[in-house]
Amino acid sequence: MVSQTKRIIRVYLMLLVLLAVMSFFSLAVGSVRVSAADLLAVLEGKTENDMIRHILFDIRLPRMLAALILGGALSVSGFLLQTFFSNPIAGPFVLGISSGAKLVVSVFMILFLGQGLIMNSWGMVLAAFLGAMASMGFVLAISKKLPQMSMLVVSGIMIGYICSAATDFIVTFADDSNIVNLHNWSMGSFSGISMDGVKICALVVAAALLSSMLLSKAMGAYQLGEVYARNMGVNIRQFRIELILLSSILSATVTAFAGPVSFVGIAVPHVIKQLFKTAKPIVVIPGCFLGGASFCLFSDLLARTLFSPTELSISSVTAVFGAPVVIVMMIKRAEH
Amino acid sequence: MDKIKNHLFRQKRKSAIPCRQPVRWIAAILLLLSMICSGCSAKTEESPSNITSAHNWDDMAPVGSMDLLYADQFSVEDYGDDITLITIGESDRFLLLPENMSAPDGLPDSITVLQKPVKNIYLVATSAMDAFIRLNALDSIALSGTKESGWYLPEAKSAMEEGKIAYAGKYSAPDYEKILNSSCGLAVESTMIYHTPEVKEQLERLGIPVLVERSSYENHPLGRMEWIRLYGVLTGKEEEAEAIFKQNVDSLSDVLDMVPSGKTAAFFYVTNSGSVNVRKNGDYIAKMIALAGGTYVPENGGSDENALSTMNMDFESFYAAAKDADVLIYNSTIDGELTTTGELCAKNQLFADFKAVKEGNVWCTGKNMFQETMGLGDMIRDMNAVFTGDTEGSFTYLHQLK
Amino acid sequence: MQTYLTADGLTVGYRKKPVLSNISMKISRGSIVTLIGPNGAGKSTILKSVIRELSPLGGSVFLDGTSIENYSDSDFAKKTAVVMTGRPDPELMTCFDVAAAGRHPYTGRFGILSKEDKKKVLEALELVQCGSLAEVQFRNTSDGQKQRILLARAICQEPELLVLDEPTSFLDVRHKLELLEILKKLVQERNVAVLMSLHELDLAERISDYVLCAENGTIGRAGTPSEVFERDYIAKLYGIERGSYLTSLGFPELPKVDGTPKVFVIGGMGSGIPVYHALNRAGIPFAAGVIHENDMEYQTVEALAAEVISEMPFEPVGERAFLRAKELLESCEAVLCPLKLFGTMNERNRELLRIGTGLGKLRQINLDKSDSGDILNYK
Repeated sequence: MVSQTKRIIRVYLMLLVLLAVMSFFSLAVGSVRVSAADLLAVLEGKTENDMIRHILFDIRLPRMLAALILGGALSVSGFLLQTFFSNPIAGPFVLGISSGAKLVVSVFMILFLGQGLIMNSWGMVLAAFLGAMASMGFVLAISKKLPQMSMLVVSGIMIGYICSAATDFIVTFADDSNIVNLHNWSMGSFSGISMDGVKICALVVAAALLSSMLLSKAMGAYQLGEVYARNMGVNIRQFRIELILLSSILSATVTAFAGPVSFVGIAVPHVIKQLFKTAKPIVVIPGCFLGGASFCLFSDLLARTLFSPTELSISSVTAVFGAPVVIVMMIKRAEH
Repeated sequence: MDKIKNHLFRQKRKSAIPCRQPVRWIAAILLLLSMICSGCSAKTEESPSNITSAHNWDDMAPVGSMDLLYADQFSVEDYGDDITLITIGESDRFLLLPENMSAPDGLPDSITVLQKPVKNIYLVATSAMDAFIRLNALDSIALSGTKESGWYLPEAKSAMEEGKIAYAGKYSAPDYEKILNSSCGLAVESTMIYHTPEVKEQLERLGIPVLVERSSYENHPLGRMEWIRLYGVLTGKEEEAEAIFKQNVDSLSDVLDMVPSGKTAAFFYVTNSGSVNVRKNGDYIAKMIALAGGTYVPENGGSDENALSTMNMDFESFYAAAKDADVLIYNSTIDGELTTTGELCAKNQLFADFKAVKEGNVWCTGKNMFQETMGLGDMIRDMNAVFTGDTEGSFTYLHQLK
Repeated sequence: MQTYLTADGLTVGYRKKPVLSNISMKISRGSIVTLIGPNGAGKSTILKSVIRELSPLGGSVFLDGTSIENYSDSDFAKKTAVVMTGRPDPELMTCFDVAAAGRHPYTGRFGILSKEDKKKVLEALELVQCGSLAEVQFRNTSDGQKQRILLARAICQEPELLVLDEPTSFLDVRHKLELLEILKKLVQERNVAVLMSLHELDLAERISDYVLCAENGTIGRAGTPSEVFERDYIAKLYGIERGSYLTSLGFPELPKVDGTPKVFVIGGMGSGIPVYHALNRAGIPFAAGVIHENDMEYQTVEALAAEVISEMPFEPVGERAFLRAKELLESCEAVLCPLKLFGTMNERNRELLRIGTGLGKLRQINLDKSDSGDILNYK
């Protein structure tokens, strides 16, 4: 028992250090060289070099915070759904959320913009968020009729298909330029999120995280199955709704601000559970946040610096680096 | 006893942990707030000067304006003292001030201040490049939103090769740091930027003014060309711009005065999925064909606000509409240039049945056509030559398929 | 003993289709009540309705004086704990973790275990004799161990009513007995009320204070084991047509081989049992005698033999019995005599043996089939 506690502490320390290192590199590295001296001067407030200040505070800092917060959100969202469905490949978008978001974004981009209506970036955020939550709403409504877990996954996938079909339908009437734009959006990116956006993300994600922690006890009971959870006093109906709601809010926020970012939500929880050697939600949830944040920071760093000034899509980087890690882990686990 | 009555299926039970509710309420309220915030638009940069200026906006009035022949998507007003007000579209306004002059007091936030000389431009709208080249103003451009390999204009290509112009990322994901580092004075974007409004907002947050050019919304093809005069104003070469423009228009006058040849022409390309991409009726290419004395087919309903508009037709409908067209012009920008009618027929056997194919009247555009916006006049002349059958001379943008 | 759980006019079923109607039962603390009945009769349905996994279709259930509908989730959890047939498969949970889950109704907002909680968990694990498995991954234990850990979990919940659905299903005989021992302890030491369903009638008969039979859409017999377990009733309850059920021994018996007896067995004192079974397996009809009705093998031979000649308990073998036995013996092809002890009461069986030997019909008993020739060392 003591060794378990020690292990938990050690892993947390490691995760925090990793996050600190990644955050540092995200701020320090970019297309423009910023030396340590410049950095210090800016932090101390004494510099005439407005440009460095702009680069750090208006370009790198919001981006770093966005990648951190949203990466953590994705990974917690994935963990919630994986526990809920007892399915190791459940991800934050298994309930069709990104498809719903893409549908509404395509409606805005192709239909509204085509009519000459111009939106600001908050409009895009709202569009994606609405689409995501609408998908979730459908799945919740269906879940009332279908008590089994497996059916919920199927309905989520079906909603995803319906939304994709609707999106394709809209795209048929689109100009090539609109198609390119939509494609760009669905690749996902942390660029272009303002400090205001970061603040909103921070608030929403913090609230959702806190609520998840409050749900961790029920989740732990749920890991033994619905019958035992109910017997231990968990109100299953309420629990299901809360879990789906929380997970959806987290992934909807990410999709709204950064587009669909794949893989983080599926892979990171596995790694974290293996590191802690436990699946207890109260331990794993904060761990997932830290791990997801670091992973996204790392991936985003690569995405924007590897072939600068061309930016790689974040999803390709997360998949290329994430998938082998998960495979190695699975093999190692089977060997035990 | 009442105790032993039938309980219904949906009997409510006391909730297990009532204290979880407040946190969910907090989350819901936060969500609501964030959605309300979506109405707020990003703040634009404030006017840079806080020194009392020699001018007061309320006292200022235009003393003259640029006399535009065909363009209606921009206007330039002279306010005297070398101060110019540029209006793009309905509402985008820029006040161009001479060097060292501070912005007038009371200038509304909605007007963006530009200071001469406008340097280190980040050019994303490809259609503007040609104007800068003709004006010999390439040195005001420092960054491009298109890679070197994407330019067909030789001057642009070599400037990038020589490192005079650097690639700064495409419009949807620019390298902000690089742009900031080059002391960029202006970003010239196309309307594509409206699909990624956060990019425009971020550039403005960094203090870089953004001008979204709307030449694609010009109804008249020559109106598109007239935008060189706007870029002339920006680069301080107003007179040269006017001269170049007038020269282009004059050289076209004989073509424009001609009696329409009555020939019908189609302008298209074949997509990957086998359908045909054609211009819509209100499109500027369709209009160019009309100016050149021809008639554009297929006639389809709906002219869009955006004159740069195309649509996909299934091959059957295209066949019905264009098989009797006198001239076929293939758009090479997407697919690549064709050299023989055999290549065209390889895309779809039915082409062999088209009148224009049988008579050998199939032409193809050069890849540079769309980027050389100043060459619109030459393009019209080329088309006119095709329509009048005067195919012996040299062509700038079209070549005949063998 | 006060009544703890009562059901009155209870109807249970799925989706408005009743499976069992008009159930009445009373369970007191410190007693074990077992539900028996054929597959599909609705035993699990009753249990699920009691633990609020299913809603009753009619009637009501009262726990400690209050209708179960009126309990909050956490209050109900403190009173009732279950061990069901579903086998959870959680990843990365140790046996301690699984057992500790039972403390759920007693821990705080974040489910952190206090020292007291941890002590109780370890005690529960010791009680089910899985103390050494505390740090082992739950997934890596055997089915029997899992079952016991789940029982430990239920114990940690400190229930007043323990509900178990076929708790002995996957256990070997030793663990079956141990589990029932644990239940007995809980009942005696902690005054727990136990309601469970069992397939093993022999165990049910031994462990239960009361037995309820689920039959034909309602509860049939309900009472003490001696009131309920009766050979014909059990056969009827379970619909046994081929074979029978030996109530006082508490186990079933295979169907007898009918026909004219070919072999005569002189048995007694239980010595005949393996022979009867072997003959039954070989499909050979046999007769046996003279067996006293209070002989331990009497129920078996009565079930298996084509004809059995019996004698009253405590009486020496009488004339009638002896003559009939002799008649049968002479009509059979072979005689087997596993009986080795002759005394006052069965003296005449020794005579039968002499007759059989004299007729040359006595055979060696060879129960090992692997030898060539059949089990009777025939031919």
